[in-house]
Amino acid sequence: MTTTRQPERSIEPRAPIDSPQPGEPGHTTPLRHPWALVARREIATKLVDRTFLLGTFVTIAIIAGFVLIQAVMVQRGNDYRLVSTSSDVAMARSVAERATGLDDAVRVTVQDVPDEAGARDALEQETADAWLVSGDDGWRIVGQDEVSSDLEAVATTVVREETIEANAQAAGTTVEVLTRGAVLETEVLVGDLEQRDFAAAMGFALAFLFYLASVGFGAALAGSVVEEKESRIVEIIATKIPVRQLLAGKVAGNTALAVLQMALYGVIGVVGLSFTSYGALLPTVTGALGWFLVFFLVGFLVIACLWAVAGALASRNEDLQSTSMPITMVLLGIFFGSLFLDGTAQTVFSYVPPASAVLMPLRVLDGSAAWWEPFVSLAILLVAAGLVVLVAERLYRRSLLQTQGRISMRQAWSAPE
Amino acid sequence: MGHIETRGLTRTFGDVRAVDGVDLVVRPGGLTGFVGGNGAGKTTTMRMVMGVLRPDAGEVLWDDRPMTAADRQQFGYMPEERGLYPKQKIADQLSYFGRLSGMPAAAARGSVAEHLERFGLTDRANDRVETLSLGNQQRVQIIAALLHEPTALVLDEPFSGLDPAAVDAMADILRDRAASGVPVLFSSHQLDLVERLCDRLVVLARGRVVAQGSVESLRAGGPTRYRIVTEGDAGWVRDVRGIHVHDVDGSTALLELLTDGADQALLREAVARGAVREFTKVVPPLSEVYREVTA
Repeated sequence: MTTTRQPERSIEPRAPIDSPQPGEPGHTTPLRHPWALVARREIATKLVDRTFLLGTFVTIAIIAGFVLIQAVMVQRGNDYRLVSTSSDVAMARSVAERATGLDDAVRVTVQDVPDEAGARDALEQETADAWLVSGDDGWRIVGQDEVSSDLEAVATTVVREETIEANAQAAGTTVEVLTRGAVLETEVLVGDLEQRDFAAAMGFALAFLFYLASVGFGAALAGSVVEEKESRIVEIIATKIPVRQLLAGKVAGNTALAVLQMALYGVIGVVGLSFTSYGALLPTVTGALGWFLVFFLVGFLVIACLWAVAGALASRNEDLQSTSMPITMVLLGIFFGSLFLDGTAQTVFSYVPPASAVLMPLRVLDGSAAWWEPFVSLAILLVAAGLVVLVAERLYRRSLLQTQGRISMRQAWSAPE
Repeated sequence: MGHIETRGLTRTFGDVRAVDGVDLVVRPGGLTGFVGGNGAGKTTTMRMVMGVLRPDAGEVLWDDRPMTAADRQQFGYMPEERGLYPKQKIADQLSYFGRLSGMPAAAARGSVAEHLERFGLTDRANDRVETLSLGNQQRVQIIAALLHEPTALVLDEPFSGLDPAAVDAMADILRDRAASGVPVLFSSHQLDLVERLCDRLVVLARGRVVAQGSVESLRAGGPTRYRIVTEGDAGWVRDVRGIHVHDVDGSTALLELLTDGADQALLREAVARGAVREFTKVVPPLSEVYREVTA
């Protein structure tokens, strides 16, 4: 007769949760990625933080508002009512016919009145916006208290061309003959003027976004490090997971949030701009936008580590301002550098971390970087990031459990664990 | 069952030797009280046991082998100055602590719910910690140390700041855990409490262990005294040979025996002078033992 042996596990009674089984913690397992747990907490607490949500919504509203204004300016045409006496109405009709061709935002309708009194009357009653009238030595455009500049520009062009045409015919020649060769066109050898202005504006916006995110998320990260230090939570956490994992989780969580937030702003901005007259220019910058995202990701990683150290060097929130001073200066330097550096200085700093995080994608955007340059700069930035992570980890680990006042960088470096 | 042991644990801060060659044992199944004045080195020792501080010399053992980070992950620890995230919901942060101890998400949530119920905090589960009273924050703090069914408890001043009812509740919890076979080490400067609760005691002074053992053995190790209550004035005991008189108060005298048989001589003399109401051995209170060993 054979007996089957029950597997040992199944005959063990399952321990109910309220009867501790010391020594054999059946329902705990070693954590494989503690940093992921920390990162998740960082993100989860941030996503329910009212100040953070409000700030994000306000920024989105500002971007959307800006884009909307641009779009409305394009969509909205200006309708003008032009009045003329019967003797001048032919010229007014010419203005009306050619107006939209000259300026697609201007539409003109013509009102024909018998005499000057009627024209003045129309202006006074505001049934007309302007009165086109001929004099002995030319034409005048008359408004009640002002004449819109776009209407004036259209009328000036039409009057000049019509008059020259008539004069040319009277002289037995044509406008084409008279104006042959009298053309001046503006050109640039590199790129396109309009595109370049657009790229500059875009670069400014992105550099500003990077500055905002680095200061905003960085200060919040440093604040949460101090919070853990001040409340001694860190002492409990340090008995559960390696401090290195805590640092990694905090940096990863905040970097992910910062990059996601910037990507969100970027998408809203780009989608919005595609509805405006700048839409045509967007394809010229999409490659650069990709570089921005990559460089920001690595750059923010570096800066987040520095902020974490600033937090660890402080013991209370009040100390934070002085321990984070060097970082705020560096960030301001990067921001102003991105605005004012050009030529050789710009090229040099586009390789110097962490400034390269903004300056290299800027150079890609304005077209001054060769294709290989961002790759080299990114490699340097990555190496720097690795070094900063190592140094930050040591400083963070050694200063985290020191709770007597402010700690200097040197003290933290040489402190025993 | 595991036990905690330290051997020659030493730590210096600058010129100050905060902990100096501390050997202590925390046995399972009982409460070990850790007493000593301010600056005696209790917190520093506990931090080294928990791996938060690195010892300059000496080692910490768990079950006769060097204690590892994985061992400590399963411990419950309450630092001296308590910490919780003020702005996070109670249930969320307790689950987080459970998960840091290695519990799967569902088990952590289950244990949090169960402990909140046990501590009468179920209806506050979704409140932020900062909205709780200090007593309730303390409860949340102890839940954070207990919820993963720790294999050992190391608690720095768990009774400080608690009202008498909360002290009793905390004492019950600690006894309960100790009874389940977990070694429990807690520090306190409330000697009466330690005497009432603890099975064993470690007394620290100026970074050194000055006494260690069961409460009874420590008290028995102190000087044994006798009290005699007679009918009339007891001043005559000063003239009896072989005894040292500590105090005479009317008909009551407190004395120490210096020679064998001195007690019989004393009693014969007392009975000759009148009735003897009481003659007892007096075991000194812990506070007296403490004063003596830390002096």
